[in-house]
Amino acid sequence: MTSRIAGLGFAAMLLLSAAHADAATAGKRIALSNNYAGNSWRQTMLTSWTDATGQAVKMGIVKEAPAFTTAENQVTEQAAQIQNMILQGYDAIVIDAASPNALNGAIKSACDAGITVISFDGVVTAPCAWRLTVDFKGMGAEQVEYLAQRLPQGGNLIQIRGLAGTSIDDAFNQGMLDELKRHPNFHLVSTVYGNWTQTVAQKAVAGVLPGLPDIAGVLTEGGDGYGAAQAFSSAGRKEPIIIMGNRQDELAWWKQQHDKDGYTTMSSSIAPGVVTLAFWVAQQVLDGHPPPKDLQVPYLKISQDTLADTLAKTPSGGLANKLYTQQDAEQLRAVGH
Amino acid sequence: MSARLRWLVRQPWSWSFAAAIVVWLVAAVAAGQGAGGALTAALAFGTFYVIVGLGQMVVVTLGPGNVDLSIPSTIALAGVIGMKVMDGSNGGIVPGILAALAAGAAVGLANAGLVFLLRIPPIVATLSASFIVQSIAIEIGGGLLVKPPPALAWFATAAPLGLPLAALVALALSLLVSLVLARTIFGRTVSAIGQNRRAARLAGLQVNLVAVATYALSGVLSAVCGVLLASFSGGASLDMGVEYLLSSIAVVVIGGTSVNGGRASPAGVWGAALFLFLLVSMLNTLGFGAGTRMVLTGLVIIGVITAAGGERAA
Repeated sequence: MTSRIAGLGFAAMLLLSAAHADAATAGKRIALSNNYAGNSWRQTMLTSWTDATGQAVKMGIVKEAPAFTTAENQVTEQAAQIQNMILQGYDAIVIDAASPNALNGAIKSACDAGITVISFDGVVTAPCAWRLTVDFKGMGAEQVEYLAQRLPQGGNLIQIRGLAGTSIDDAFNQGMLDELKRHPNFHLVSTVYGNWTQTVAQKAVAGVLPGLPDIAGVLTEGGDGYGAAQAFSSAGRKEPIIIMGNRQDELAWWKQQHDKDGYTTMSSSIAPGVVTLAFWVAQQVLDGHPPPKDLQVPYLKISQDTLADTLAKTPSGGLANKLYTQQDAEQLRAVGH
Repeated sequence: MSARLRWLVRQPWSWSFAAAIVVWLVAAVAAGQGAGGALTAALAFGTFYVIVGLGQMVVVTLGPGNVDLSIPSTIALAGVIGMKVMDGSNGGIVPGILAALAAGAAVGLANAGLVFLLRIPPIVATLSASFIVQSIAIEIGGGLLVKPPPALAWFATAAPLGLPLAALVALALSLLVSLVLARTIFGRTVSAIGQNRRAARLAGLQVNLVAVATYALSGVLSAVCGVLLASFSGGASLDMGVEYLLSSIAVVVIGGTSVNGGRASPAGVWGAALFLFLLVSMLNTLGFGAGTRMVLTGLVIIGVITAAGGERAA
């Protein structure tokens, strides 16, 4: 009799564990702390979070995973938000931070309260937090390598930088300048700031273009490629090889140009879906499988061969995206070790 | 000749034009070519500064504390609504523009409600309103870039003989605003409120009504800017208005409008708009680092404002 009951219980447990493969984290609550929502990358990022975590909650992998966004992109506001999350007793906080070091105090209180903190995109330097970093330096260098391979005879280049004073912009710039030293037949004839914003980049390029000689290529940091193309066309000049940043309007323009006269370029950026990778890393940590603190995130690259496919999958006016899975996080952990 | 020069120096708008011409010449000499192209680009981009600057100017003229900080989010909202209604078809242009203008007017009236009914200081009122407006824009646009109809995109970018058509719209609006300010009871009331609100009320002027209409006007002009900017840059995006928060105030002040209210300078807005664009182009052409650019931008703007203000005090 007792053995029958025990047998039933065992069967029920088996059934349960099959349905809830991650029973260990089934009761866990993971919050997203986001510092800004005012552009298409962040909007896609938030949608990706909702899609992926909604599925995870439905499958019983975690209890809940709400997203919180501060209104003003201010460090103080995000620090207060994190304090609230500590009080509300979340098990993990996934954070896109307003500053790499100014939030470290709040992050440390969260860690001290036993909360797992995973930072991505805008990463934090607090030692207790995990960092999903992107090799922006490598991305910058890769653009120059691509142009060198396409234009062996060299030529004049324009560099569109992002937001002055940010670590991401510095890393991009360093990668580009280092690689340019190895290709002396390229001449950087103008550097402008586009603030990663299409309208600002368009204005900056249009402002310098009248005074510049023939341009062979444009180095970019994302969000600025289509604006640069617009500036060239409204100045009545032929568009050079402009590196794109995975926006749908950039890809659509590229395809249109390719169909017309064989125009070819490349495009790369971090997928906004990287937030889902951060979510799964948090889940792995809560599940008792912590990866190393510093993890290198892959970025999404689009070439002429993958252009048509990617464009077809990207919503009009949106960004090329990729949602990551639990397996991706496990692989990242394996590579990290 | 000397009398004419003295007259010119005393005009509040003359300094912004002088500054624009200087930076234009420096950039052209440094680049060695392209002075004409730079002027076309300055007119094309200056158009947006001028349109929002006119609205901000009328609000600032109402007197100390009056300012519209909801301009960036109104640009985003009107751009998104306009492009959504147009849905990329030329047939939708007229309803799209009307919807965008209505949205702009609604934001302006809401701002006025907060300022005059709830008595919230304009800086706080328009900034808080902008959060709500930006959220509505996010909700409507869903974070996607909404494309303009081909005819409107053509109109916004066309520049026959180096003269952007959109700049003609800005010119027409400038003339209209100048005329309204100088020749109508509404315009004279705006200046009167800026000079002394109490005296204006005691003189029997419709102080409250005019002040409300002024905020609505700023909203409508932001909407015009939003539709033109979205058409010009290939679509309405959430962040396209961000840079117009400070620049809308800068063009007003550099253009010689009194920050204390009571005296507007519509012509100066043009000089200041061209100056701001050409200043960035000049600094980019000269190739300074980011820090130097920002320091120089600040110094040059302070210099122009001081020069304009100093002459008037003398």
